[in-house]
This record gives sequence, C-alpha cells and structure tokens, in this order.
Amino acid sequence: MTARTISFYGPFRRKPALGDWLVLTAIIVVAVMAAFPLVWMVLASLETPAETMRTPPVWFPATPNLNAYGQVAGVIDAGRSFINSAIVATVTTAGILLTSLLAGFAFAKYEFRGRSWLFAAVIATMFLPPIITLIPLYRLVGYLHIDGNLAGVIVPNLANAFGIFLMRQFIRGVPNELIDAARIDGASELRVVFSVVAPSVVPAIAALALFAFVYHWNSYLWPLTVLEGNTSQYPIVISLSRLLSYNRGAMNTGLVMAGATMAVLPPVILFVILQRFFVDSIVNTGVKG
Amino acid sequence: MLGPALLLLGIFVVIPMLLTIWLSFQNWSSETGFDTAHFVGLSNFQEIFGRASVGRDFKNALVNTALYTGGSVVLLLPLSVLFGLLVYQDRVRGGVILRTILFSTYMVPMIAVALVFSKLYAPADGPLNEILGVFGLPGSAWLSSPDTALGSVVLLNVWQQVGYFTVLAVAGLTQIPGSVYEAAAIDGAHAIQRFFGITLPLLRRTLLFSAVIAVINAVQVFEPVALITQGGPVGATNVLTYHIRRVGIERSEGGLGSAMAVTLMLALIVMIVALFALARRGGDEA
Repeated sequence: MTARTISFYGPFRRKPALGDWLVLTAIIVVAVMAAFPLVWMVLASLETPAETMRTPPVWFPATPNLNAYGQVAGVIDAGRSFINSAIVATVTTAGILLTSLLAGFAFAKYEFRGRSWLFAAVIATMFLPPIITLIPLYRLVGYLHIDGNLAGVIVPNLANAFGIFLMRQFIRGVPNELIDAARIDGASELRVVFSVVAPSVVPAIAALALFAFVYHWNSYLWPLTVLEGNTSQYPIVISLSRLLSYNRGAMNTGLVMAGATMAVLPPVILFVILQRFFVDSIVNTGVKG
Repeated sequence: MLGPALLLLGIFVVIPMLLTIWLSFQNWSSETGFDTAHFVGLSNFQEIFGRASVGRDFKNALVNTALYTGGSVVLLLPLSVLFGLLVYQDRVRGGVILRTILFSTYMVPMIAVALVFSKLYAPADGPLNEILGVFGLPGSAWLSSPDTALGSVVLLNVWQQVGYFTVLAVAGLTQIPGSVYEAAAIDGAHAIQRFFGITLPLLRRTLLFSAVIAVINAVQVFEPVALITQGGPVGATNVLTYHIRRVGIERSEGGLGSAMAVTLMLALIVMIVALFALARRGGDEA
C-alpha cells in the first residue's frame, strides 16, 4: 500500500490515463443501470395519473406531487400494515438475536461430544429453501393455534442457522481469559453472555440485527401463506400485492409506485446508514468461513 | 444455552422437513390433520412424473426452475467479478459509492422490485423499450411473450441480487495477496494474463460459495411470478416454489406437493455436490 496523497485530479488518484477513463465510465454506467429502476419508481410516484398514462413515457413529473401517497392510504390500510411489518420485523429480530447469541456462544466456547456434527446439522438448515418445509409447517402452526395472526408469522422464525453461524464466528474471537475472569468473579453463564460476550461482539450483533430486520420486513411467502387472507394482519409487502388489482391500467402507476416506495424506504435507509456492518459480516462469514 | 435455538429449529425446520419426506409417500389433503394421511407408496412420485396434466405441469416447472437457476448463476457470477473489480480497484474513486448503490438493490423487497419491473417491462412503448429504442435496439415483449417471460424474470433477479454477489467477490479479491501480482508484473504478465492466471483461480472458493448461494436463492423465486405472471404466459414462468405452493396449499394436494418438494430437495443436493466436485477438479488442474 502506498500512502495516499492529496489529489488534484477529481475522481482520479493520479494524472488520468486512458484506462482510468474507461474504469470511470464503467463505474458510472453500472451505477446508473443499478439505480435506474429505483429512481424511476420514485419519479413515477410523483407524477399525475395523466403523466403516467402518456406514451412515450414521461420521465420527469412537471409538477412533482404527493397525491399518489394519499391515495395509497385509501386503497390499503397502510398505517396498520406498517405497524404489522414493524411488529413482525422487530420481534423476530429480537428473538433471533437472543437465540443466536446463546447458541453461538455454546458452539464457540463449550466443549461437548458431538459439537461439530450438531453444528454441521444446524448449518445444513441454512441451505434449505423455505418451500421444502412450507406445506407441513402451514399445518403445524394450525395445531399450535397461531395460524392467521402475527404470532404465526413470527414464532417459526425466532431462531435461524445464519444467526447462530454469524455469532459463533465472532464469539470464537473473544478471549477465553475474559470469560474465565467473569466466571471466577461468580458470574452465571447467562451473565457471562450478556455482560462479557455481547459487548465484545457489538458489530456482529448490529449486522445480524440489520440482516434479520430487513429479511423479515421483506419476507413474503410465509406471511402470505400463514395469514390466509386475514388482511388486518398483513405486513406492508403483502398489502402491496393488493394494489395489484390497481396495477392493470397505466392510470394507477403512480399509486402503485407510491406504495412500493413506502415499503422500500425502511430497509434501504437502514442499510445506507449501517452498511459498514453488513459488509464486514459478509466478509467474515462468507469467505473466511 | 443451545436449548432455545435447537428447540425452535427442531420444531419449525427439522420436523417439517421430516414430515415433508413422510408426506411424499402419503395421500393427504393439507386442509386436514396429519392423522388423515394414508400410505400410498411411490404413487405420488409416479403421478408427478407421469403423462397426465399433473406430471406435465410439474416437469415443466422443474425445467423452468432449472433454466431460471442456470441463467441466474451464469449471469450473476461473471457480473459479480466484473463489478467486484470496479469496486475494488483504486485507480479511480467511486468504488464505495458503486458498492452502496449495487448493494442497496438487495435490500429492496422483492415485491417492490416485481411491481416496478412490471411497469418497466410494459411491451408497447414501455420505459425499457423506449430506452432500447434510443440506442437503436428493438424492443422486447418481455413478460407478455412465452419466449421472453422467463428470461425477463431472470434479469429482474440478477438486477436485484448482483450487489450481494459483488460484495462476496470483493471479499474474495481482498484475500489475494498483492505480492502475487507484483511477482507476475516482474515476470511481464499483462493485465489480462494476470486476471486469468491469478485473480480467477484464486477466487475459486469465493465463486463456489457464490454459486451455491445463487442456486439456493434462485429456486426460491416467488414474488414476481405470483404477482405478475401467475406462472404464465402458457406456463413459461411456472417455477417450483410457485407451483409447489399452488398444488400443496391452494389445491390442498399435500401429498403431491410434498413429493414435488422432496424432488426439489434431491435435485438441489445433486446440484450442490456437482458444484463442489467441479470446483475440486478445477483445483487439481490449477
């Protein structure tokens, strides 16, 4: 690594050569293509129905307005859906953090017979697409009398293999001396986890919290299946699909895009603020394994 | 310590998985309790691979899923390496901004992606066709023709997921020691030789991991199909997650749906073992 010097070359790190211009062009092209659908979504949500119907399409609204956002509330109970989404994502995330921290600690720091095969079995569930278990699970929550409500959405997801894996990877790096010192001071195992281990792996906890929150905010297949048409319990992503009947005509494009924009904002804003943790945790779990 | 996690995973993952396998040998309506199931041997499997419409629909969904998965992996892996190099390089600033933009698409709920693309893909004078027109390219029928519908869903999936795989590729690139490149530069290797001689072989583990994840993600495609195409036109986008749910839950054919799920599980195991074998063979040659 060479020391970075102050650059007078704008986006370039030194006097630009032809290759640098090519790289810059490539970055811009890829960034524009990646951002385009989302930018278009927001622009369309600000257009009037007359503008969204025009061909060729209007790219920029003449007078951006938020009318479409008001209309969404008239079609679906957006407020209720947002609260449902927030409950599902928050409670599920809290549960995942708790179960992953405890199990990750046990797999990282306890020696017991069968540890490695048990851990391998847990990891294997990470690679199981949800559709494989969907049919019996749908019946199973009926036996537990939690079908058709938010508990049915939340309870089956309170533990997951990815969380356990992530926590174990990071907790392995916590020095044993630190843990033993707390034990000698008479701390219970639970106290060791919450007052010694957890504070040492805050970045991993942040990453897992964000992953879990975004995943369960966005989750579609399971809530759709377990809620069985009980619209008062729908999270926002399921309610959005009810805008489908309004999706046919171009007239309602603005309405549909306003709904989509509302659902997209929470996870994307969370990510942009805290992306450092996401990226670090992917590097730690994905490749170093 | 392990109690809560293992209890939950046991009840909500392991037991349902075993039930799926058991149910695949039963005649069972998913509207009724498990006690109403009765053993029918392999007849569910005979039916889903048979010549009647149940078999035709399932085999079609299996082929569509294979094409969709293959298409997604074939596009995602090279793009992730290419974009990874753009993020990782330090000739030009902007890599981190590019990473942020690419990865933020991965945070967008698939349902919103599906809604947006259902509009962008409008066949007559739709936004994407307009843009293609600006570059003098012919428009496409996108989701409205059986020839292009599945490919359009692949593109939508690639758009959403490429950021995640780019981050994986960057993580892999960071692991390659700079000294290897310096040695190659001294030997006079030019950029393209360095890429194929060093970068690609040393990314093998990353690419294997990416391929496995891409396959697992691809078989889960559901929202665009459920929301926009309902498996059509003429079955062109009928993929397994959508089809299994339709048969096993909407039509209550729990036994048939479970046999399809078991088939998918076996196909995935074969595919992942094959990927590992491929990566190992490539490793011996390198």
